Amino acid sequence: MSPEVTLHRISPELRPLLSSVVRNGRVGLDSTNCLRVTDLKTGCTSLTPGPCCDRFKLHIPYAGETLKWDIIFNAQYPELPPDFIFGEDAEFLPEPSELPHLVQWDSGDPECLLQLVKELLQQYHHYQCQRLRESSRLLFEYDSLLEDPNYGRNMEIYAGRKNSWVGHCGAAFCWRLKRGSHVTPTDTAVDPGEDVALLSVSFEDAEATQVFPKLYLSPSIEHALGGSSALHIPAFPSGGCLIDYVPQVCQLLNNKVQYVIQGYHKRREYIAAFLSHFGMGVVEYDAEGFTKLTLLLMWKDFCFLVHVDLPLYFPRDQPTLTFQSVYHFTSSGQLYSQVQKSYPYSPRWDGNEMAKRAKAYFKSFIPQFQEGAFANGKL
Amino acid sequence: MAEPTVRLSGIVFSSLAFQHVNRDSDVEGLILGESKFEEQVTISDSQADHIHIEEIYNIQKHISCLKLNDFYNSVGDVNVAAVNKILADNKQENVIGWYKQRRNSDQQMTFREKVVHEKLKASLSNPHMIFVLLTPSRLTPTGSTHKMEYAAFISRSRHFVNVPVLVNNLGVLEQLAYWKASAPCSSAGYHRTMNTHSSKFFSSNGLLREVNDVNSMNDSLQLELQKASRKLVESERLVETLQTDISVLRRKLSEKKKSEAGKGGPVDQRDQVLHEAFRSLLCCRLFHTHTLTLEAFPVPGFSEQDGAPETASPLRPGKRPKETLVGTDRKRRRSQPSE
Repeated sequence: MSPEVTLHRISPELRPLLSSVVRNGRVGLDSTNCLRVTDLKTGCTSLTPGPCCDRFKLHIPYAGETLKWDIIFNAQYPELPPDFIFGEDAEFLPEPSELPHLVQWDSGDPECLLQLVKELLQQYHHYQCQRLRESSRLLFEYDSLLEDPNYGRNMEIYAGRKNSWVGHCGAAFCWRLKRGSHVTPTDTAVDPGEDVALLSVSFEDAEATQVFPKLYLSPSIEHALGGSSALHIPAFPSGGCLIDYVPQVCQLLNNKVQYVIQGYHKRREYIAAFLSHFGMGVVEYDAEGFTKLTLLLMWKDFCFLVHVDLPLYFPRDQPTLTFQSVYHFTSSGQLYSQVQKSYPYSPRWDGNEMAKRAKAYFKSFIPQFQEGAFANGKL
Repeated sequence: MAEPTVRLSGIVFSSLAFQHVNRDSDVEGLILGESKFEEQVTISDSQADHIHIEEIYNIQKHISCLKLNDFYNSVGDVNVAAVNKILADNKQENVIGWYKQRRNSDQQMTFREKVVHEKLKASLSNPHMIFVLLTPSRLTPTGSTHKMEYAAFISRSRHFVNVPVLVNNLGVLEQLAYWKASAPCSSAGYHRTMNTHSSKFFSSNGLLREVNDVNSMNDSLQLELQKASRKLVESERLVETLQTDISVLRRKLSEKKKSEAGKGGPVDQRDQVLHEAFRSLLCCRLFHTHTLTLEAFPVPGFSEQDGAPETASPLRPGKRPKETLVGTDRKRRRSQPSE
């Protein structure tokens, strides 16, 4: 249900409260997505003219799971604070006095509901941590991570009973590994959201014999790293501990990100060098990601285009050169072109050297390309 | 372990439902009635004596609040003064719980309802309180059919347990056993009537008068039975003793007979002599049948015993040969007694 539809159906007096939830509601570690509202219903009779919905289900991402809490208002008494049903966690009973926004409920404050949900989530986190005491092993994992300020503050615990028929108690630990922007430039037309990497480690049993780690990346980081398959985290070692494993994954991710950042700088240097060497011959280039460059060159009255595509892991991976004739067409109507992936190249060269070597290569390859264009293309 | 049950009459239930239908929001209020604990003893083949306690909550009345959150605040703190105001003339000790009617929501207690329930228990000093939840909802998208779900909850160590709710009709269909207590009723007129006329039927200890009389008769009967039992026991013992004696005597007799049969003792010899004497006597001709003459003398030479003619003697007149007297073929017949 989109936020607009939700707000359209909710009772007008409750609309401001819900608006801040559906539009700005980012809680917990996974703040890439807003809170979601479904199952809008009303406590009024069917004869009451709408919109009069005053109760709904709120979906909250938490520790790799999605909590589904029922929030109940009363359209006829909009000034009253909401009530909650905590889904399957029937035993979760927070202390009301420790919820400041419930004690001092202000129906006129649009942020009140969102703040109350955050406070409840904090209580829920404490409740789940308490449940870890059922397993000494999981409690040890939790306590050891809690001591480390790098991870203890950004941790969500879910000690739900995943395999209730077996009687085991599993737990999922979830951390925010990196927060920040400027990793890679993004498409300004689409907002990819905040840069977040979440590591989720699920213990399927209390003895930690079945441990499944998963890494969730925000769209911008995933794109920057080259897709979902670009980064593979190691399996959780048998008999290992989270206090050893989590830093290992963090380091791996950081190294990867640093590598990508270095690649970005290298690409920028490369483009700058080409701009310097080819000057007026530059048709266009990617001024944000520095991944593409197009040159219009002429050799003995023969004009041609050179498209340079820089890969993600440049300078480790060699740029692709695509030579394109401006005169000749293929049978399919495309401009005649040839792709060159093997040419003199070394990742240890700096940008200036790469530009010089590329220039030399152009001079050596163009006669061959021209012949090919005349032979295979048509004017 | 107590097995709780909530009972409410059809009238109260329909009143609750009717009230909610006519309100444009959720409704809550207090429940009045009585709660009682009954001990049930069941005997089965596997267990001779199984005791279980039934916890019965009888809902007799409900009082709705004029508005929501009337007797508690946002954190669930209960205002006892507000509760008393809602109760008006009703007594606080008659409060056995509270209820909530929530449209289009799950049949689960909410966060605040749980908090309020615990605090209400503490405020009214009643550890046995129930919470009744009614959740009407739309069954079809068009709204042509609605359903009303209802449940009751009690709190056990801060865990809320779902309790079965039985709605009594005019006749309680599931009642199969005898009634052990009268139907609960909170009407003042009913109590006045009972107080006026109960002494005619009930004795001071609360039992029916006839029950006491029957009990007394039963006691007397028990005494008589005990007496008869004692006599029976004595006579049976005597019979047993006599039978034992008889057995002993019989055993002795049979042993004696066995020993005498082997030796041919004085008893056998005496019997044989007696036997011979009788034989001689009976074989004597004098006792044989004779044919007599007209003069009443036996015809000599005839004896029915050996068939041979005999010589007549004065002592033994013989039979007239081949001449039979008229009427000699007539035998003397013993006169038969007339019937």
